[in-house]
Amino acid sequence: MKADVELSLIHDGEQWIARGDAVTARGETLLEVDEGVTHALRDSGAFPLGSSVTVFMGFDFDTIPTWLRQYHAHYFNRYITVNL
Amino acid sequence: MAAVNRKWTDGMLRTEDWWAVWLGLIMFFAGLLTIWGVDLVGWMTKTKTWEWGKFWTDPSFNKLLAGSHVKEGQTYAGLGGLGSLLVTYVVFTTLTCIGAYFQKLDVKKFFMGFTCIYFITWGAWIAGHEAHFKALKTGQSITQSEIYGDNVYCTTKVNKCSTQINKALKGMGVNVLEGQVPTQEQAAQAVAKSKNSIRMSWGLQLGGGFSYMLALAVGLIIGNFFKGFANFLREGAKPEWFIKTAIVYLGIKLGLMSMKATGFALELALAGAAACFVAYLLFWPIVYAMGRKIFKLRRDASAVLSSGISICGVSAAIATAGAIRAKPILPIAVSMLIVVFAMIELVALPTFYAAVAPDQPIVNGAAMGMTVKTDGADAAAGAILDEMMVANHYRTTGETWEADWILSAAILTKIWIDVFIGVWAFVLALIWVYKVERRPDQQRVGASEIWFRFPKFVIGYFIAWLFYVAIAVWFPDAIKAASSGAGVVQSPMRKMMFMLTFVAIGVITDFSKLKGMGRLTALYAIALFVVIAPIAYLVAWIFHNGMLPPLASS
Repeated sequence: MKADVELSLIHDGEQWIARGDAVTARGETLLEVDEGVTHALRDSGAFPLGSSVTVFMGFDFDTIPTWLRQYHAHYFNRYITVNL
Repeated sequence: MAAVNRKWTDGMLRTEDWWAVWLGLIMFFAGLLTIWGVDLVGWMTKTKTWEWGKFWTDPSFNKLLAGSHVKEGQTYAGLGGLGSLLVTYVVFTTLTCIGAYFQKLDVKKFFMGFTCIYFITWGAWIAGHEAHFKALKTGQSITQSEIYGDNVYCTTKVNKCSTQINKALKGMGVNVLEGQVPTQEQAAQAVAKSKNSIRMSWGLQLGGGFSYMLALAVGLIIGNFFKGFANFLREGAKPEWFIKTAIVYLGIKLGLMSMKATGFALELALAGAAACFVAYLLFWPIVYAMGRKIFKLRRDASAVLSSGISICGVSAAIATAGAIRAKPILPIAVSMLIVVFAMIELVALPTFYAAVAPDQPIVNGAAMGMTVKTDGADAAAGAILDEMMVANHYRTTGETWEADWILSAAILTKIWIDVFIGVWAFVLALIWVYKVERRPDQQRVGASEIWFRFPKFVIGYFIAWLFYVAIAVWFPDAIKAASSGAGVVQSPMRKMMFMLTFVAIGVITDFSKLKGMGRLTALYAIALFVVIAPIAYLVAWIFHNGMLPPLASS
């Protein structure tokens, strides 16, 4: 699936944090992160207002403790569509 | 991006799962070269059964260890026990350190930890091969003790000793296979001539399983009483990596066994798949309902725990938590529980099953595969069960089941469970995204999530298995040459990876981690022993009842 914006996602113990080249958004829930991403994209001016942007968020598995990584190697990836 | 799975090839150099495939296939292909007369695996060390008294009359490493192909005229002639131990160390340390580097582990710490674990492992393995612990009585000593005496033990496979004794008797003109009965004197002479038969005043007859239990005990002692040392070893203690590599090697063994018993192997695989399907449908909803209704857990906690306890342990807990977008702390907490409980199952279940149902070896193995969470603990429990049941059956009947079928039942069942976790997590993700957390904006779940959650070591396992089946079908003349290299990879190499797993799994298990996890611990214990274990046994019995391993040939 193609995406217009690619972000990596981590959880710091309290908040989800989505980070990319020009976008950073954080929130206690993924819904808050998505709202933050929408605002950040609007503010960046990279896409025209009114356009629909597909955002890929890939979970950075380095967030998981080292001892646990040997059991499984993937958490989740998600796509959202943001209307600017 | 850092460790993000984006393309289908992502993780091929980064994850232990893929590195189990690479380590497995490197040795698989190295072993295969014996078909063309090239021996790249004959240096592998293997343990010998030794006797305390005789060892100290003239101590030598050659009494404890041997290379796999070190006889005169063979490629590694002259390497000796110590030489092959060191070559084995160099080869496996190099390969695992390369893997550790690409997995972004601290290579220096890994090297130190792995080195200690390697030598602890071999120490336990050698100790466990002392004849008073390990050696079984020969068939003649069990069934005709009045002629042969009841103190004749075998330092190799018992069928081999029986054959050696019978051959010696034939040389004296007594053909026992035609019903002739030797005198006590002739029997004594034949036993003396048998290269692998010894007389001992006592023996526990624990078989190879004793080494496994010893390694586990050593690991647990380190993990729980020498925590500073355990922390030092931790970077090198990778039981899942070791066991997944061992499982790829086991694919070769299954391939070789399938050559002899194709129908049985196929039946075992299909019955295992069917049993898993039934188990999935029963376990998850029951545990989830218990979590919600009785223990009043939140929806996400209940889902993660249900997957962890009813599907494939830590892997399922992480996969499910990811699928339902739970905070990572949740699967981390649940995983601590799973690891500790897997250890309890590993210690308790083999003995329990072997005692309660000694005539249902395959049912026991399959039930183990459905009950013991984490691949490491399941394979370890299956290996102990296999050794224990084969030895017990031999002691009580004089009949020898071929080794490793019970272990294969445990692993095949577990592998089916592992394989479908990706699909299960995908279904959960769809339910969570489109129903539980339905939102006005559009979230989507990619089908690639199934692939990223697929256990990759299974690919290595099936490649190894099917490759040997293909050789049997299309190149039957190559079987003998292929078996020479394959024998090294699937036996001493695989068993070493099992032994490393036993030590490592003990090192990382710290029972004190259960403190402060009251409600989750209670639910886990009740669900495991009251729901999962009995249902798993019932399902295993329905699908595997009456299946017995083929008898071992001499």
